[in-house]
Amino acid sequence: MTAETFREFLALLEDAGQLNRIADRVSWDLEASAITALANQTDERIPAFERVDAGIDGTWLVGDPYRGPCRRPWAHLARAFELPSALPGPAYYEAVVERLREPCEPTVVDPATAPCKEVVRTGADASLLEFPWPYVHQGDGGRYATLNTLVAPDADSEWGRWSRHRAMIHDATGASLLFLAGEQVPNLYYYEYERRDEPMPVALVLGAGPAVECAAEMWIPVGKSEAAFAGGLQESPVDLVACETNDLYVPASAEVVIEGRVRPGERLDEGPYGDYFGYVNGPRRSMPALEVDAITHRRAPRLPFCVEGTGVGYGHNSTSTLEVAAGGPDATLGLRAAGYEVAMAAPWPFSSRTAWTIATDRPYPGYLHELANFVFTTWGMLHIDFLIFVDADVNPLDPRAVFEAIALQADPATDFHQFGVERMPKVPLNIYQTPDEKGSADVGTSKAKTAKAHVDALSDGDRPTQTIGSRASRERARNLLVEAGITPAFARDDSPAVDR
Amino acid sequence: MTAFRTHLEFLHRTDDCQRLERPDSPSPQVVAAEAMRANGPALEFTPAGGGVGLASGVYGGVDQLERRNRYPWTRLGIGLGVDRDPAYVDVLEELIELGGRVDDRDVTYVPRAASATDRGLRDLELPTPPDEAWPRFTLGLCSIGSDDGSYWGPIHGTVLDGDTVRARVPEALSGQLRRGDAVTIALGVPAAALATTHLLAVTDRLSTPIEARGVGSTVPVVPTAGGVVPGSSEVVLETTVAARQPETRSEKREFWERLVDATTLTLDVRHVFTREDPVVPFTPLGTPLSDDLGLTALAIAARLYERVNGYWGVSPVEWVLLPAEGRLGICLVATEVLYPGFEWQLANLLFSLSRCFDTVVVVDAEASPRALGRVLGDLWVKAHPSRDWLFSEPNAPAARMPTYSRDDTGARLYVDATWDPRWKPEFVAPRVSVTDSFPPEIRDAVLESWTDLGFEDEPDVA
Repeated sequence: MTAETFREFLALLEDAGQLNRIADRVSWDLEASAITALANQTDERIPAFERVDAGIDGTWLVGDPYRGPCRRPWAHLARAFELPSALPGPAYYEAVVERLREPCEPTVVDPATAPCKEVVRTGADASLLEFPWPYVHQGDGGRYATLNTLVAPDADSEWGRWSRHRAMIHDATGASLLFLAGEQVPNLYYYEYERRDEPMPVALVLGAGPAVECAAEMWIPVGKSEAAFAGGLQESPVDLVACETNDLYVPASAEVVIEGRVRPGERLDEGPYGDYFGYVNGPRRSMPALEVDAITHRRAPRLPFCVEGTGVGYGHNSTSTLEVAAGGPDATLGLRAAGYEVAMAAPWPFSSRTAWTIATDRPYPGYLHELANFVFTTWGMLHIDFLIFVDADVNPLDPRAVFEAIALQADPATDFHQFGVERMPKVPLNIYQTPDEKGSADVGTSKAKTAKAHVDALSDGDRPTQTIGSRASRERARNLLVEAGITPAFARDDSPAVDR
Repeated sequence: MTAFRTHLEFLHRTDDCQRLERPDSPSPQVVAAEAMRANGPALEFTPAGGGVGLASGVYGGVDQLERRNRYPWTRLGIGLGVDRDPAYVDVLEELIELGGRVDDRDVTYVPRAASATDRGLRDLELPTPPDEAWPRFTLGLCSIGSDDGSYWGPIHGTVLDGDTVRARVPEALSGQLRRGDAVTIALGVPAAALATTHLLAVTDRLSTPIEARGVGSTVPVVPTAGGVVPGSSEVVLETTVAARQPETRSEKREFWERLVDATTLTLDVRHVFTREDPVVPFTPLGTPLSDDLGLTALAIAARLYERVNGYWGVSPVEWVLLPAEGRLGICLVATEVLYPGFEWQLANLLFSLSRCFDTVVVVDAEASPRALGRVLGDLWVKAHPSRDWLFSEPNAPAARMPTYSRDDTGARLYVDATWDPRWKPEFVAPRVSVTDSFPPEIRDAVLESWTDLGFEDEPDVA
């Protein structure tokens, strides 16, 4: 069965033996995130903390619930979408691409039936401090809501725009939102609402379910709705419900919904924070301020959170998993929709966003440059610095094949291409630029610029041997190994290109 | 010194070697290649008939692109007797010591463990690769005797008939041979001996007798018709250089031949010696993670590590790694950046010491060679795309491993993924990790209560 809500997803994880319900009392102050970080690092079961030492009775913290297994980060989400969890990476990508080709419009439900309205508090009764927001890393600027979906207005869509922006909790009614100019919702705020001196209504949604989380991770073009793509992913409409204090609609099954306004011209401190680069970025900067108008939630809510930064290297977390399992198929579909015949586009497995691998043929000279230009000037402009192009029959999810292509096929003289020097926008969270280059705390936007590069690691038809023997003999060899008890180590499903 | 069979037993004891019956089909090379592709354990094929036992993956066969508790150097390090869980640099240093020149020869002679046999060469039933006509042996050691001592080198080849092999040997050795000269081939030799042959071959140091190298005093030997060979060898073939040396087409190569000129020799087999229940290592040639690739990678890394740390009078380099996953086309080096520009000097020194690769990635000294995934994360997030990716003009000698089309010259690239030494410490971003992001008291408490919290696997915070 498709898991449409966060609770159904947790139940599904538990049924699969992938959830560790922890009854011991745990502190939100670094302890929950330390346990989660270690679970991420060791590929252990997802920790669900049932007793947190503050907040509403019965509240759970769930550490990196969307994190998939190291070898198959998409496996849990595949299960959530009723796809075989054993699907090889390329097959999973194609299955998700097919789902995204069939968006499904949401339905609006009566607030009386919406689980997220079990408790409704407005005005002075709504307090952020009733929730045990985790303090994630030592050195962070504060406590954070990390794994959330921000719902914002969208003139082109009835259902608003969904995206993910972390929120640093300041007090009962205030938080700072990481709004990086260049992204869709921040652009809307900085260049429309704030210029008109109008507050922008928003809703910060936590625990909205796998399809919603995936859709928020995707780069959905203007005029299309994340809500419809989420429906396509789960093959059924997402139930939405009207907010209490503004005109936005939010997923009805959410665990917590924080309604509020981003106040024009006002800023609050944000950061530093241990971010997806795997380092603690700084300096502390000023970011737009969220003022809370209402909080609605389930009784005994389950609060998901992400220990950011642990999705670098071998480990995964929710961010890196969503990037692989949702961002990758979305980018693959997006590039194909733009007319590029790519086999797959997927993030480099050891850093969650900065480098992507695209498997493609080279139908005509200049094609790779054109394709890179498209990525850097559209969905990848802020976060992606490098594109690695490999042969269409190389699986971008197979790090061995991609690394080999970089090492053997990319000629330093001719195959590395830069898009200008210091001309492209960049998130100020990166660590390779000096503080001066990143810009000051100026209006939450970034002065940071950088170069972007693409690496042509296509083989031109001369790839080293990947296997020996016929397909049938390799199959017999694998069976022999399985019979000999080598199954666990042998069960790779991201086989190199020849077996795709 | 660890005999090959002792090495194999140890891999079994650490659950890093799986025994299976040798199949009629497919070829053991196919099974070995698939096991490596799956990052499986080493394999030992027990003989179905009267042939030798076979073992693959005993020197390498592991990639680092997933978290694991064994590394590309683990099996060789065990074979060298470094440790059960050997540190990378310890393996490199042991290898350097084995290949080092010694002033006083101290050679230990022992009785031959392998005894003469009536078996013909064919009776050994060495495996035939799927697309080849003849049985093949790999990971062998050849020895040539002289008045000065014995010269060792790597050797591999095919069994043409019951009395003839066609083998590939370094030109530095074959150049010493004339028709009728004796050459002894040893299979199943101690890891110390085999690894040293790779080190000496790829560093062009085959012209010194083995008795004058560290390995000569480490590995007990036995005299043969050729030169001395390790006394514990599983199979010993005494051969002579055949009178007729036919022109041959290009043969399959072991990885060391990508760096060293080699020639084909036809050898007449005069005597076959085997131990009781002999087991010989083999590797599928040309496939990812093969043992010959792993041995060559470690040999080059050891030499580079030694040279760069001997260059400045201090030892700023923590480790040098040529990942087998990149088939030696890329070199990673972790170093303290002594002063601005040091990383430029270091990268270019590495280029000048080896023509193997065209790319060097310089990372900070804190990076662990066990965490290649993290290093490959830093490749993209710590190096500025325009300032820290530095390319040379395309007038350097062409690197040997990359396969892109080029002439005799090529460009070089180094990526500086280190903190700029001019930055104030407060600008250097702390890492996010279990050890860096939480105070010790919380970290210790979590580790202590880990199993009580319901987790099953022992945490590894190394």
